[in-house]
Amino acid sequence: MIGTGIKKGTAELAILSVLQDGPLHGYELSRRIEAQTKGLLSFSLAALYPMLYRMEQRRWIRGAWETACSGRRRRCYRLTRQGKKKLQPLRAEWSELFTALRRLTKVSNA
Amino acid sequence: MHDWAQIVRDRLATLALDDEDAAQVFDELTGHLEQDYRSLLSEGCSEEEAVRRALAGAGDWQVLQRKIESSRKKEPSMPKRVMQFWIPAFVTLLLSMACLALIQIFGPSPWFAPAINGWRFVAPVGLVYIPWVFTLPFIGALGAYLSNRAGGRARAVFSATIFPILPYTVFFIIGLAIAMVLDDHVARNLTIPMFFVGLCAWVIFPGAALLAGGVPAHYFSGRLDTRQIYNG
Repeated sequence: MIGTGIKKGTAELAILSVLQDGPLHGYELSRRIEAQTKGLLSFSLAALYPMLYRMEQRRWIRGAWETACSGRRRRCYRLTRQGKKKLQPLRAEWSELFTALRRLTKVSNA
Repeated sequence: MHDWAQIVRDRLATLALDDEDAAQVFDELTGHLEQDYRSLLSEGCSEEEAVRRALAGAGDWQVLQRKIESSRKKEPSMPKRVMQFWIPAFVTLLLSMACLALIQIFGPSPWFAPAINGWRFVAPVGLVYIPWVFTLPFIGALGAYLSNRAGGRARAVFSATIFPILPYTVFFIIGLAIAMVLDDHVARNLTIPMFFVGLCAWVIFPGAALLAGGVPAHYFSGRLDTRQIYNG
């Protein structure tokens, strides 16, 4: 059964998947998602940071301040154990959705 | 060179977060915009174009502000009902029981008093009971204050205030009444006047004493809150 919150889950899945490779700060995270999806997925500030804060509150990711070489403070996000656990069902939901869509388009093309 | 920190502060001037929280958000967004701007410059954009595109990447600032406020709103660690009723209720219950126990331990001990047929063992019920009833307004006031502070409405506040008499109420009104009907062993020596004496002593008087503290506490802490709101 595909969850109703799957649309919102796309952003969550993208963030969790990218953070699985290692900790990143907000800007790097959005660039990485953009690069890996060849520009298909991009985040505005209004989409990215509220999502990060919400995920941090749910303890899926953890942010920590660090000082860059330039002296500017920046917040680096890393995946938590709970986040890793969340990633598995999200992936399964997506895979299920794509399978269902593929089946649907095959039927309508036939 | 653009002052991105100022740009962010200006655009999110009405961000409704506490100072520390807001400062963290400003720092983070400033860093993001600054990096975006530098990256655009390094890609060959003119300064004007880089600023325009960096700001466009932020999206609608009002939406951003609203979303940040809602996402950073701290979720209460405990449900409202626990804060407004259960904690104050158990505080009043435990304190009232502790006071009764302490008065019994450290108060006057039972003694033998002369009686018609010799000596009689006398328990100083009044000397334990009366001081205990006098402690109850303070306990009730504390319960009402805690519930009020957590945002409890009158019903939650007064329920928490009189919570210590609940066990006695259950005993006298429900338990004893059932026992009188069903089990004559329990109620053989019990007369109706005795039942009402017990009801008054353990339910009505303590309840009134608790409310004597709880009602003013609720009223005054309510007034204090209103004054704080008006003073900003």
